[in-house]
Amino acid sequence: MPHNAAAPRVLPAPALGAPPVPRVPVPERWTLPNGARVVFLPRAGIPQVALRLVLPAGSSADPAEYPGTAALVASLLTEGTRGYDATALNARIDALGASVGAHAGHDFAEVEMTLLAGTLDEGIPLLAEIVTRPTFPEDETERVRAEMLDAFEARQDEPANVADDRTLAEVYGEGHPYGRPSFGTAEGVGAVPREALAAFHAARFRPEGAFLVAAGDFDPAELRALLESAFAHWTGGAEPVAYPAAPARPACAGERVEIPWPDSAQGEIRIAGTGMVRTDPRWVVASVANYILGGSTILGRLGSNLREDKGWTYGVRSAFSAGVAPGGWVAETAVEGEFTPRAVEEMLGEMRRMMTEPVPEEELRRAKDALILSLPRAFETPARVASRFATLEAYGLPRDYWERFPEQVEAVTAEDILAVSREHFDPARVVCVTVGGAASGEQVEESEEEE
Amino acid sequence: MSRSSIPSITIPFRAHTLGNGMRIVVHEDRASPIVAVHLMYHAGSRHEVPGRTGLAHLLEHLMFEGSEHAPKGAFDDLLERAGGSNNGSTWLDRTNYYETVPSHAVELPLWLERDRMAHFLSVLDQEKLDLQRGVVINERRQSYENRPYGLADERLSELLFPDGHPYGWPTIGYVADLEAMTLDDMRTFYGTYYTPSNSVLVFAGDIGPEEAFALAERYFGDLPAGPALPRREGESVEPAAGHRRETMPDRVSFPRVYRAFAVPGYGTPDWVALDVLAYLLSDGESSRMQRALVREGRIAQDVDTYLYPTELEAVFGIVATARTGIPAERLEEAFERVVAEVVENGVSEDEVVAAVRRTRRDQVAQLANVEERAESLAYAATTLGDPGRFDEVMAAYADVTPEDVRRVAAEYLRPERGATVVVVPAAGEVQDAA
Repeated sequence: MPHNAAAPRVLPAPALGAPPVPRVPVPERWTLPNGARVVFLPRAGIPQVALRLVLPAGSSADPAEYPGTAALVASLLTEGTRGYDATALNARIDALGASVGAHAGHDFAEVEMTLLAGTLDEGIPLLAEIVTRPTFPEDETERVRAEMLDAFEARQDEPANVADDRTLAEVYGEGHPYGRPSFGTAEGVGAVPREALAAFHAARFRPEGAFLVAAGDFDPAELRALLESAFAHWTGGAEPVAYPAAPARPACAGERVEIPWPDSAQGEIRIAGTGMVRTDPRWVVASVANYILGGSTILGRLGSNLREDKGWTYGVRSAFSAGVAPGGWVAETAVEGEFTPRAVEEMLGEMRRMMTEPVPEEELRRAKDALILSLPRAFETPARVASRFATLEAYGLPRDYWERFPEQVEAVTAEDILAVSREHFDPARVVCVTVGGAASGEQVEESEEEE
Repeated sequence: MSRSSIPSITIPFRAHTLGNGMRIVVHEDRASPIVAVHLMYHAGSRHEVPGRTGLAHLLEHLMFEGSEHAPKGAFDDLLERAGGSNNGSTWLDRTNYYETVPSHAVELPLWLERDRMAHFLSVLDQEKLDLQRGVVINERRQSYENRPYGLADERLSELLFPDGHPYGWPTIGYVADLEAMTLDDMRTFYGTYYTPSNSVLVFAGDIGPEEAFALAERYFGDLPAGPALPRREGESVEPAAGHRRETMPDRVSFPRVYRAFAVPGYGTPDWVALDVLAYLLSDGESSRMQRALVREGRIAQDVDTYLYPTELEAVFGIVATARTGIPAERLEEAFERVVAEVVENGVSEDEVVAAVRRTRRDQVAQLANVEERAESLAYAATTLGDPGRFDEVMAAYADVTPEDVRRVAAEYLRPERGATVVVVPAAGEVQDAA
């Protein structure tokens, strides 16, 4: 044994100097003649350009009779355009060494393109083709539709997915677009006609209200000229998405929904309620509160309890979700099956403690330090930078948001945290969904899975 | 599209070895005021013995449970307060511990890593072992057992590598072995492998080599080297004769086929050619497997090929999920047909150049952060013996020829070198309730 000889010296813990000031990049912002906003974040060193084109064309804009329209439209952007059939288009993308992905979230559709530096002149016209001139050819549409329908079926094989989907429905109700996954329903995807896909695209993929973020190794003048040329023919604007009023709290707030899953290895747990819009002035307070409760996987109170103290789970975390309409809050974990009811009680207990006892100064200080001092990491890579600035554009947050973020975090008090906790972590205001694991034996919510 | 359009990738570094054999590597990049510290031990699940599988990974968990001067909770607490992040991971050949901190806090991870390299065993106790055993068994449940198709990879490795081969068991370990693990098992493994001479420490980011070397000397220079370990060179095992296959019923709706081949290890010229082949076969919608199985063949929902960068030998895998009504055999026939086309007719220069560019796209994106660059240097130092080999491996991609791609497909993707697991819906598979 190598360490049994003379014990190594004990060194004093290092004293740390002053932390570095985060270098928040200052983007170049401009607007295309057609109204699309552009955010440039050029940085040499990494020979790649990350482009994110974001449009208000998420599932919240789905036609009521066809949930999943936005998702299917996004998937079909790369399946054929007026200039290229699907085979030719994909051959061009692959030959460039590029990657293109499009998907629909609840609020926005997003087209992401990654290009190797030096391929912008070929890549940008392809991006414009994909975004502005898709043709939704019948053959490819039916293939992608069939793949999505298979994916809906496969999704039900995994308890975690079943828990996630059910949680959305319980928090928002069937009538709200956030009440189902952004990829819609099998019924909607199966039924939506091609004409409706083309109509959705024509109405919603418009430059006014859209924005593009470019980060990485590029010459701004060159990229600007390429964008102005490639998107010159693109015009118009989309109607604002109409969001129904969000429920003040889940319909079954305070109750349990237990979905049996025979022979499950673990119990999936979701405790969820309503949150707030991303622009809510309390967002930063909520972020600090959530960080203390479950934002830090191991040090958060939920993780300290269920993982580090009890050993019942590999991980537990909680988060507020950002939204144009009020988003949600969810705490999620998977625990050893027999401990499922006790784990739920422990989680609710931690939530109750957040709303009844002021957070000790020491714990609050640690949360603030963690959130503020980790900023330099958040702006390290082009992809992370693009993501941070896409958030500002998407929700209309102030341009100096990231510069002011440290002082906003610093201003949060223990009383602020009590107030936001009472509103969002109150066990009476959340619904608890479990899939598999031991039943609570109390107040079992009858659900259709239990016929 | 010519080869001159393939961007080059290098990670400049300076290296130094401490008196106790600990290797120090420094990659300076002042773009962001952060430093990644990466400590890699040449100890993974392949250094375990049958009956004690999962040991290396369970020890990794215990390393976060406190050392003499940084008791339980202090490790994460101190780093998070300083704005840092940290984690560890265990794989077949190595275990790593890494922290990324704002540059003012670079000494903190060094002090913490020193403490758990030099002052750990005295505070390791049964209570910590039992607790983390529970966490790991739950990790196994969450990541493998309670997930559709979750146990297929484990079975595939068992079939692919003959009995007793150290890649034949899963890094997470078998439950019975985890339950049998003792404190003595932990102490022996730690004492053998968690030593300066069996580790590499990499700094990447806002720090210069002289400062980093001095810090490494201060925090690790006085520690004893640890036992000399036999290099387990030439451990490579010829694949068992004949194709091994197995059908696993699972609670799934669609059949999925996993096929894998044992191939030359990370960094060898054939490994690089096989990586290009993997991209050529299934990365991108115009790639051969995507067309044959998904886009034109329409028998699969998805198909993927992958190549592990493991040391003794690597694993080349192909995975596809059937569409409604398609039996698994059709996927296997398609795998074989696509490979046969590559072998019989070869591939074009344009196809190879495009595939290499796509490997570059992913490599460039991955290496955008200092944490990944630190890991890449540590991994090359650990598995190839020299951090400088990383640049050589990257450079080798640009030299892969169409004939290389054809040849490695012919040589290594023959059915008799492989193993197949077919996951099928269990009989009477219905999510009915009580």
